Amino acid sequence: MEFDLFLRYGPALLTGFGVTILCWLVGSFGGLVLGFVLACLYRYGPAPLRWVIYAYVEVIRGTPFMIQLFILYYGGPHFGLLLSPIQAGILSFIVYGSPYFSEIFRSGFNAVPHGQVEAARCVGLSEGRILRRIILPQMLVPITAPLTNFFIILTKETAILSVVTVPELLYETQTMAAETFTFVEPFLVLSLFYWLMVIGTSWVGAKAEARVTRHLRKA
Amino acid sequence: MDETPKDQPIIRISGLCKYFDDFEALRDITLDVNRSEVLCLIGPSGSGKSTLLRCLNFLEAYDGGEVYLEGDLIGWRSAREAPRRPLSSEKLRRQRQHIGMVFQQFNLWPHMTALENVAEALMHVKGLSKSEATTKARAALAKVNLSDKEKNYPANLSGGQQQRVAIARAIAMEPSVMLFDEPTSALDPELVGEVLSVMKEMANEGMTMVVVTHEMGFAAHVADRVAFLEEGRLVACSPPSEIFGREPDDPRVRAFLKTYRERNVV
Ligand SMILES: Nc1ncnc2c1ncn2[C@@H]1O[C@H](COP(=O)(O)OP(=O)(O)OP(=O)(O)O)[C@@H](O)[C@H]1O
Ligand SMILES: [Mg+2]
Repeated sequence: MEFDLFLRYGPALLTGFGVTILCWLVGSFGGLVLGFVLACLYRYGPAPLRWVIYAYVEVIRGTPFMIQLFILYYGGPHFGLLLSPIQAGILSFIVYGSPYFSEIFRSGFNAVPHGQVEAARCVGLSEGRILRRIILPQMLVPITAPLTNFFIILTKETAILSVVTVPELLYETQTMAAETFTFVEPFLVLSLFYWLMVIGTSWVGAKAEARVTRHLRKA
Repeated sequence: MDETPKDQPIIRISGLCKYFDDFEALRDITLDVNRSEVLCLIGPSGSGKSTLLRCLNFLEAYDGGEVYLEGDLIGWRSAREAPRRPLSSEKLRRQRQHIGMVFQQFNLWPHMTALENVAEALMHVKGLSKSEATTKARAALAKVNLSDKEKNYPANLSGGQQQRVAIARAIAMEPSVMLFDEPTSALDPELVGEVLSVMKEMANEGMTMVVVTHEMGFAAHVADRVAFLEEGRLVACSPPSEIFGREPDDPRVRAFLKTYRERNVV
């Protein structure tokens, strides 16, 4: 292995890693928030809105991420939506992730026993408070693991952003490989970076899970 | 809510009807509950006892008839409109504060300690400060003999203890009426007594209580009146001495109680 290559390409790879993390974090959390809003609208909203959300979830889940990205990036200008690669990448990430998140939240809503909501209504708690104080903390118990899991899946989906020239990790790695005619070294580094993101996410997820299941531990 | 005169019934149910789609769960129930009275509801499974109880605090929206608590129509804006319109959620929440409810499955909030379960509504419904709410919640837990368990999460309480926390959560709101839906049916036999004795104490202190129960001993000895439901109809409503007497007038009541008699419960 030629380690001086890493001295030359190190900064570019690190910048790529930074862009990957940026797109991943902003895109995933955006998708998480949008997914939660969709799940709430689905639960509390009127029937026509439910159909719209249902259709959105099915369409987005039923098409490949790369197609969604192409439509947004190349098709966007036709509708006056002129986006930089990174903007298009983040926005499509939000769109792509949201229905999966909303399905996770939907299952979480269903996992909270209805009797607890009734008990809360009986003492006069408002629906908003019930959502925040009774339903949310409890739905976190079954959904923290799937949420972590989906965040992990999304770390690697960022690689697809390279097809619209987002200067993220895979893009920089491919540049390095092409310019230096090396293959093993750049992709080893690439794997190492993804692996760092994955173990970081797992670690945070495990902490979060311990926190939200605190009350279930036997004294 | 205005206090009705002391000799007026605190709850007035008249012509109450409830449908689940086409199924008639309650038919034309008329029944009053007096202040400080303990009324037990008994009857076969599926006869509509829970449904009746749940109409009283509008967990089920009743379709016909009226339910008044201290002169206030529960749940609907007016009984005379057709179709009826429900009260605003704000008003309904205010009505419900006067009606405590205890469920068969306790329904404690598992992510809150015993104390937090009791204090939650004191803070966020009654608007008490955290320290005021804590003081009140402690007093309610003391009433159900659970002062030493306030820091426990429900997962670390026995069934009987959980049910007593649920009772404390309800009485901390100082309701004018308490509803119980089979409060001891999910408990192991040796835990039933501790819950019933708390309920007896509440009855002695003059709490108005409507209790759905299969504990015929409790109904016989604590209730002022016992109402018998069958297929959504109120078949009998009399003092326990008449219901549980040697030969109840109504053959359906007789048949229902026969199985209990055979087990020597009454
Ligand atoms: N949400 C509902 N939808 C449809 N039918 C219902 C619903 N709730 C109750 N019922 C029906 O109404 C009838 C009365 O039910 P309810 O729960 O009031 O009976 P119960 O007397 O409390 O019985 P148990 O002693 O088993 O608790 C039953 O036939 C039941 O199947
Ligand atoms: Mg029942």
